[in-house]
Amino acid sequence: MSLSAQEKLELEEKALALREKVLRMIKASGSGHLGGALSSTEILTALYFRIMKVDPERPDWTERDRFVLSAGHKCLILYAALAEKGFLPESYLDSYGDLKSPLPGHPSMQKQPGVEANTGALGHGLSIAGGMAMGLRAQKKKNRVFVLMGDGEQAEGSNWEAAAAASYHKLDNLLAFVDRNGLQIGGKTTEVMSYEPLEERWAAFGWSVRTIDGNDIEQVVEAIESAPFEAGKPSVIIADTVKSKGLSFAEGDAAYHYWKANADELKAADEDLKKAREILENARKGLK
Amino acid sequence: MKTVNWNRTFTEAKDPRKTFGEALTKVGSTIPEVIALSTDSSSGSGMGPFAKQFPERHYEFGIMEQGAIGYAAGLASTGLIPFYAAIAPFVTARPYEMFRNDLGYMQQNVKVVGRCAGLTYSHLGPTHHSLDDIGIIRTIPGVTILNPGDPVSIHKAVQAAAEFKGPAYIRIGSPPMPGIYNEDVPFEAGKGNVLMDGTDVTIIATGTMLANAVKAAMTLESEGLSVCLIDMHTVKPLDAELVLEAAERTGRIVTVEEHYVTGGLGSAVAELCSARRPTPVHMIGVQDQYASNGPYDELLGLYGLQAGQIADTVRNLLK
Repeated sequence: MSLSAQEKLELEEKALALREKVLRMIKASGSGHLGGALSSTEILTALYFRIMKVDPERPDWTERDRFVLSAGHKCLILYAALAEKGFLPESYLDSYGDLKSPLPGHPSMQKQPGVEANTGALGHGLSIAGGMAMGLRAQKKKNRVFVLMGDGEQAEGSNWEAAAAASYHKLDNLLAFVDRNGLQIGGKTTEVMSYEPLEERWAAFGWSVRTIDGNDIEQVVEAIESAPFEAGKPSVIIADTVKSKGLSFAEGDAAYHYWKANADELKAADEDLKKAREILENARKGLK
Repeated sequence: MKTVNWNRTFTEAKDPRKTFGEALTKVGSTIPEVIALSTDSSSGSGMGPFAKQFPERHYEFGIMEQGAIGYAAGLASTGLIPFYAAIAPFVTARPYEMFRNDLGYMQQNVKVVGRCAGLTYSHLGPTHHSLDDIGIIRTIPGVTILNPGDPVSIHKAVQAAAEFKGPAYIRIGSPPMPGIYNEDVPFEAGKGNVLMDGTDVTIIATGTMLANAVKAAMTLESEGLSVCLIDMHTVKPLDAELVLEAAERTGRIVTVEEHYVTGGLGSAVAELCSARRPTPVHMIGVQDQYASNGPYDELLGLYGLQAGQIADTVRNLLK
């Protein structure tokens, strides 16, 4: 179902709110994995504010959908989404980086309800998500399982074990995302260790594949809502995104994979997000 | 010290893998959440009968020992109780990080069964030996390590693991294991069993070495030595109270295991004693080397693990 202008605007406002929260956490601690958090913002926005059945009052609700952040270093966007959704008080965001924070540099389900897996070591999430999908199906539950990987993470061989098993077991309640922002810590993903063409590789492993602009909220929602793309097959969305999307000085620059923020950059970041806020406010006036 | 009843004349030896499979099928028939995971290792692990009786609860993954651990974690997170069995090194050393993060750190209710552990695959060589599995899994907080020493204990270990919540590693061998216990023997995870309550020396054995340690202890006893013999079927959490009581009682401890002396039961006992009651601990096991290849009994002989050799070692220590 395509989004109405109102729905689209509301999701764009959510996406911006999440980006503002990411910046808030980085301000609190002085640094963090920025680039991948901002490239995957629209995906988490769509999942948490349009698609997923979750209840912040009951994080262990057995009827919930599951989201596994395989690329655990992108946790700032997960924390932002969980806070916006009500899984944690917003004030906790300011504890990011502190000794007793429930929000470590890679997510922990024992510390923060709503987190579904303790990721951070790359190449683990797809297996865990596959097991969740398998277990839910065995218990005849209709819930869906979502998992987000990075494009640099594709080089972990364990992903391909997990991918083969998911298609062999016909897990069509499983939807994976590859956040193809094209950059990893060492530079361009295609130059560090290319796994392109990703579409053909995933298809060869028995998955149904779709490629979208992963920073376009309409495309993200439309793709998720059409999954499974084929009955009896797991689906993967290759999301072409921009690393550090939304911060003009950092977009498309591998140096901002992990950002140690200085005062000038923080000021520029504030200005970028303020401008984005004004644009959305004008758009809202236009709707009325 | 309270001793348990056991058979001085061992009862018929049984195949531990088959025994594990029978135990799993039995526990599966009373606990519907129990499922079996295989990495092309089902029949070799004794899980054939389970697969036959509960085909919809048996999951095959092919030879992907890393990913199977993650799948097991995900399955457990939905309320199921996966038992994942395969050759010991391939469920411990190979997927160590998956074991640590997906099962340990995530506290998932998965039971990993390492079969043909120790020197079982004697002639296949070090790639198939597992002399470090207890050592590496013991470093993972929150994982219970069960190392049953006879067929009755295997049944009880599987039952106990299905009933307690949390990750576990169950270690079994492959050569036939003589029956030491009757059905009435107590088995509580974390509590060792005392077979002899002597005062000259304590022998603590675990898993596949229990029978040889029992034989050695009976020999020493017949020679007039007063032996305290403990079956430490749970290596983690270690029964600290019992070890310290035995240390106090005898003043010296010998540990026996089919494992490297680094990291296993002996290390656990020595770590405890050095902190709480300094006591000489002599560890019988394989030293820091890649084990050789050959017939199982001969390999045990090469590393001093036969019953007569264990008795010799203890006798020499007491001279």
